[in-house]
Amino acid sequence: MKLVRLVMLGMVLAAASSYAAFAQGTPAPKDAALYFIWPLDGATLKGAFWCRFGLRNMGVTHAGDTFPNSGHHHLLIDVNEPIDSKEPIPQDKSHLHFGAGQTETRLELAPGKHTLQLVLGDAKHYPFNPPLISKKITITVK
Amino acid sequence: MRGEIRQIHPRKGGGSPGEPIPRRLAVIMAGDIAGYSRLMNIDEEGTHARLKRILREVVEPTIAEHHGRLVKTTGDGFIAIFDSPVEAVRCGIVIQQSMVGRNASVPAQQALLYRIGVNLGDVIVDSNEVFGDGVNIAVRLEGIATPGQVYISGGVYEQIKHKLVCGYQSLGDRQVKNITDPVRVYRVLPDPAAFMETQKRREIGFVVLASIVLLAIAGSLWYTMRPGRDLNVARSSAPAASAPETSRTTESAAAIAPSAAPAISPQGTSPASPQAGSFSPATPQGASPQPASPPSASPSVKEPEMAQLPGGSFSMGSNEDPSEKPVHQVAIKPFALSKFPVTVRQWNECAAANACEFTALGDENAPVTNVSWTDTKQYLGWLEQVTHKPYRLPSEAEWEYAARGGTQTKYWWGDQLQAGMANCKNCVAIASASADFPAKVGSFRPNPFGLYDMGGGVDQWVEDCWHRNYQGAPNDGSPWMDGDCVSHVIRSGSWKNDASYVRPANRDHYDTGVRYPTHGFRVALSP
Repeated sequence: MKLVRLVMLGMVLAAASSYAAFAQGTPAPKDAALYFIWPLDGATLKGAFWCRFGLRNMGVTHAGDTFPNSGHHHLLIDVNEPIDSKEPIPQDKSHLHFGAGQTETRLELAPGKHTLQLVLGDAKHYPFNPPLISKKITITVK
Repeated sequence: MRGEIRQIHPRKGGGSPGEPIPRRLAVIMAGDIAGYSRLMNIDEEGTHARLKRILREVVEPTIAEHHGRLVKTTGDGFIAIFDSPVEAVRCGIVIQQSMVGRNASVPAQQALLYRIGVNLGDVIVDSNEVFGDGVNIAVRLEGIATPGQVYISGGVYEQIKHKLVCGYQSLGDRQVKNITDPVRVYRVLPDPAAFMETQKRREIGFVVLASIVLLAIAGSLWYTMRPGRDLNVARSSAPAASAPETSRTTESAAAIAPSAAPAISPQGTSPASPQAGSFSPATPQGASPQPASPPSASPSVKEPEMAQLPGGSFSMGSNEDPSEKPVHQVAIKPFALSKFPVTVRQWNECAAANACEFTALGDENAPVTNVSWTDTKQYLGWLEQVTHKPYRLPSEAEWEYAARGGTQTKYWWGDQLQAGMANCKNCVAIASASADFPAKVGSFRPNPFGLYDMGGGVDQWVEDCWHRNYQGAPNDGSPWMDGDCVSHVIRSGSWKNDASYVRPANRDHYDTGVRYPTHGFRVALSP
């Protein structure tokens, strides 16, 4: 019985703390991981290709939705600046947003070497805390 | 035994009745009308005719659109199969949403409501029939579904949970007639608001439960803790609006009272809504409204300041970016475009009338931001209602024509970036520029057409769907609407983008229903 009580107490505390952080710096589960399903790091690709996003232990949702443990994808192409966790993820031609909850996109990049990286954004397009970022992969387009 | 042998050696010359019917994995959708016999009792012929029409106009085309096949229809129901669970559930949602629209115009007792069940199973598909447990489960799911809802099995849920953006409510395991194992059932909540509602109900339930448990641990150190209180405090996340300063127009101050309920209510569209009723249609001269209505604090609506643009022909696009090619000639008819992007003050007049969903923060004369393309339609609908003029978004061609102001150079002022011309990142430092909000509208020089902030400041939605280049673009200045419209065009670049985005030819796009902090819009009007 004691154990049950302790578990319930733990759940209550966990619920309270998860609500405390709806503002910026939304916490992500510790075991969450963001990765590219495709292409693979170092791949050489011909012309346009599908880029597929993987996310483990979290859910993908529409931007604006504040469901706990969920976010939406952002794809950074040839971006060298580090992510500023106090700012919304920028929106421009090298920061592609997938606020409708897309998990893949068709990319057509100029021939040459490119880097790709994923960043998960919260309801307001801010990175999670700590930022949930994929490994930066390098691909070559022929 | 004989049947099995026949399967190993299928007879040639297909179509003969003895040929084995292949099994396949399929998504089965079952739908039927709730309370059909009651409806038939009330009005047999009318109900039948309406049902036939709905099948023809809603169900059949929606299934076809989602790459499904209508296998059969029964009196009031239908069975369809799909290859993809995502498509099947999407189809279910679309059918239900279309029915809401259809039912809006008929009395409640006569409303036709579908119950829909979707299951994934290994079935036998014949030309006009489908057999198997998988079908039975779909039919049972449909049977327990609340009218107007889509229920799916655990198997479908597993396939779609990360792919289809909507809420799912688990209804637990259900025993289904004539099926041995219980079936896990989920309710699909296409509307995020509905999801939040059930979430909240569950949260409240949970908090109540938790509180009881807490109280039960009398004497524990945690006795005084009340989680319910903490939760509410933690919810207020947005920064408070900056103190309103004296505005250029005095009449609006009352409109910005933070009263606008963020609830999505259809009130705003009803011409009889009390708030809207007290607006008198403003004349172009901005004559003061008749104080005939009760002396509530409702403001008069000042129409946006418009610039009249002459018609003309121009070269749209550039060779600087693949999306801007090919450069093509477009003819534009005369039209009017607002001199400034829609401001926070203007937006909040709409919010105060409960016609726009949220109250914008920031300086009154700053452009409104964080609006989606869909949001702009709320504002435009309200503006049309109070002014009786068909305000609209400009087309992409109209926007570029207006931004060029009769020039064909890289920027409207020439080919070189000049200081003090636009509100963009690293372009120029001005006193009022901040990283968080764009400068007030009209802080920079107007272009030759008398338009301000056509480039830099806020990104501006236009009417057109996104197309990755101009191959096949219209040349008459109309918005380019075909293609799938999940994404619309934004123009102008924002205060957070660099100078290359300020070019009139620059174009970008964003998901139609998604808000982002640098996105705003301006309004247009045809003569």
